[in-house]
Amino acid sequence: MDRRTFIKSTGGAALLAASGGLATPALSQGASNKVLRFVPQSNLANFDPIWGTQYVVRNAAALVWDTLYGVDDKLVPQRQMVEKEEVSADGLVWTFKLRAGMKFHDGEPVRAKDAVQSLKRWAARDPMGLMITAIQNELVAVDDLTFRWALKKPYPKMLLALGKNNSPCSFIMPERIAQTDPFKQITEYIGSGPMKFKKEEWVPGAKAVFERFADYKPRDEAASWLAGGKKMLVDRIEWIIMPDPATASAALQNGEVDWWENPISDLVPVLKSNRNIMVDIGDPLGNIGAFRMNHLHPPFNKVKIRRAILAAMNQEDYMRGIVGDDNNLWKPIPGFFTPGTPLYTEAGGEILKMKSIDAGKKLLAEGGYAGEPVTCVVAQDQPNLKPMGEVTADLLKKLGMNVDFVATDWGTVGARRAQKTPPGQGGWNMFHTWHAGADCLNPAPYTAIRGNGEKAWFGWPDSPEVEKQVSAWFDAKDLTEEKATIALLNKAALEDVIFAPTGFFLSYTAWRKNVTGITKGPLPFFWGVAKS
Amino acid sequence: MLAFIVRRVIATIPVMAFVALFVFSLLYIAPGDPAAVIAGDQATPADVERIRQGLGLDRPFLVRFGEWLFRVLRGDLGISIFTSLPVSQLIAQRIEPTVSLMVVTLLLAILIAVPLGVLAAWKANTWIDRLAMAFCVTGFSVPVFVVGYLLAYVFALKLDWLPVQGYTPLSQGVWPWFENLILPAITLGFVYIALIARITRASMLEVLQQDYIRTARSKGVGQTSILFLHALKNAAIPVVTVIGIGIALLIGGAVVTESVFAIPGLGRLTVDAILRRDYPVIQGVVLMFSFVYVLINLLVDLVYTLIDPRIRY
Repeated sequence: MDRRTFIKSTGGAALLAASGGLATPALSQGASNKVLRFVPQSNLANFDPIWGTQYVVRNAAALVWDTLYGVDDKLVPQRQMVEKEEVSADGLVWTFKLRAGMKFHDGEPVRAKDAVQSLKRWAARDPMGLMITAIQNELVAVDDLTFRWALKKPYPKMLLALGKNNSPCSFIMPERIAQTDPFKQITEYIGSGPMKFKKEEWVPGAKAVFERFADYKPRDEAASWLAGGKKMLVDRIEWIIMPDPATASAALQNGEVDWWENPISDLVPVLKSNRNIMVDIGDPLGNIGAFRMNHLHPPFNKVKIRRAILAAMNQEDYMRGIVGDDNNLWKPIPGFFTPGTPLYTEAGGEILKMKSIDAGKKLLAEGGYAGEPVTCVVAQDQPNLKPMGEVTADLLKKLGMNVDFVATDWGTVGARRAQKTPPGQGGWNMFHTWHAGADCLNPAPYTAIRGNGEKAWFGWPDSPEVEKQVSAWFDAKDLTEEKATIALLNKAALEDVIFAPTGFFLSYTAWRKNVTGITKGPLPFFWGVAKS
Repeated sequence: MLAFIVRRVIATIPVMAFVALFVFSLLYIAPGDPAAVIAGDQATPADVERIRQGLGLDRPFLVRFGEWLFRVLRGDLGISIFTSLPVSQLIAQRIEPTVSLMVVTLLLAILIAVPLGVLAAWKANTWIDRLAMAFCVTGFSVPVFVVGYLLAYVFALKLDWLPVQGYTPLSQGVWPWFENLILPAITLGFVYIALIARITRASMLEVLQQDYIRTARSKGVGQTSILFLHALKNAAIPVVTVIGIGIALLIGGAVVTESVFAIPGLGRLTVDAILRRDYPVIQGVVLMFSFVYVLINLLVDLVYTLIDPRIRY
């Protein structure tokens, strides 16, 4: 019996007696071992994984909704809700058959028409989905368990599109829910995944609760990321939102929570020193830090000035600002793709290895920099972005640039970065962000790498060569071809300076030692996690 | 008296109308875009624009304000942009933890601060007075979150007497409810105790020099009676005023305290809504807080009449 339990049973008993004996619901030891208390990376403020594409929504959605395919830890899409698929010899017609016996949480069977409508809603919001829709002839249910997707030209990345873990994932919902406009939020949270969402217990900003779905039929294969048998070993998962990292740290040490998704690096030494806590790298795919320059306005409308920044910057400065002195947590990347994955390349990355202020100054002069102010918008409420912004401001000053440092919050950055007006009229020259490594494996989900001008991500880079290589990757037949196109893409993106990568960094996850089965991955996987 | 109450209640209408217009206008001109937050980092500008249109955020100011005002007049605070839940439901979910925290803090503060202020005034310029005032200065000087972290470290982490975080509804038992509020209430009450104690001391010092106190002493009235029956009642008007004003202080402090102790209250709801630009929630919460504050001022005015019969409305 610990001290708090003792106090509860003595002082608490006296208070209860005095109050007329209001009862506390008691959980037996066995029952409490079936409840996993988890601190997610941020607040689950909405719960529509198609409408809102934040990672935290996707992570929760993976419990409630299942996908047709799921990528495994080798980054290969595997069958999940699908029993088998066939593709015609010309690659134009895909026919999918669903596993029999799957049910939604309201007891209704999962039918092909549900999958069809869900894919339509997903495809309206997902970059790969939009590409498929653009070449689609028809997407129809053939019978209760079979549907067909007919295309005008082959799409070799079809299974990756349906199984990728990038947001938005192609989660399957009942047809009536999936008929909701993809730009409007659903209000019913019925899926066919291993856990049910307890809407009545949801307190946005504080708590979200998931309960085991008894009728879920996991696959027979071993679980591996979003693929395989999603066997739940706990009955209930409580997501407890904690905005303050120090509180989350104390709660984990105190045993009030079982698993904290992403402890900040400052607190990791404290957690590591606690014998009841395990700390390990959470997501081996990590993150890529970045700042973007606005290609529409001076001075960064000139490529030499953008290159000056790349030549002068030192990624170590940025990474130290984010992860501190822990050398296990970062590495420099002379490119844009996630290290340790098949398409990683350093082609064209020499400029990022220069780290020379003098070289930067020379390029600035060649580019005709005339002292224009650089409006650098930096979110102060994001632990990863504030230090990056300060490093950039220092870099620009060393280069002799005229820095207009705008310290603000992330909500304001989110709005301001969408402004195409000149910096003096509410626009911007630079902002900082980061990309999940899982989104930087290939060009499919990597909107930040695109160079399609007005349609590109914020900064609106226009690079025909980048776009050419992106198209080539989508048409690539095998990994060798893919690697060749990605090398050219990386080189072109660095030459045109689509954006400036500030380094690759990892982060930790921490859990109590009585919790087992936690696996590394781009999102927290709850299947196979047990508590003793 | 009844006419006074009616007049004051009617007077709240223009105040609330001004608050409504002010809050709506402020949010309209404030930078930030909920659509960008909803769309996520990978969304394209076109996606963000579609979401903005879906939320009706692209419509003119007057149209949006008119619609919102019409709904509010019917008692409908609107729907949260992010959760799609009614704002009234979100407030209802969060009101119990915040009210519990404020009530416990208020009781704790009054029970400690008033006797402390009386004691300091009675023993003015002695070491007891200096010690009490040093405590007050500390209370004013140390930020709420520092007190919170220190208390959590000692009483939750090191001694394991109390939980670090969370809130248990009163319906699940008095002790579980109270257990979660002890550390937050002490944290939030620290500055409040300091404020009330200082005002009590100052007011008591003035009253204790009055002729009627000297008369009472000369008649042989006991010290306790002099302090608490004769002096405190007459020194109470400024104290009651400060307690009323201090409730606004509590609302502000609750934002920090609720974050430090992960209490799902209105303070956190407000901060989360501001960071995400969830306009209907911000407007609803600010309107509610304004209304509560106006009511508290009315209550304070009424309490004056109970303390000092010379006050008539």
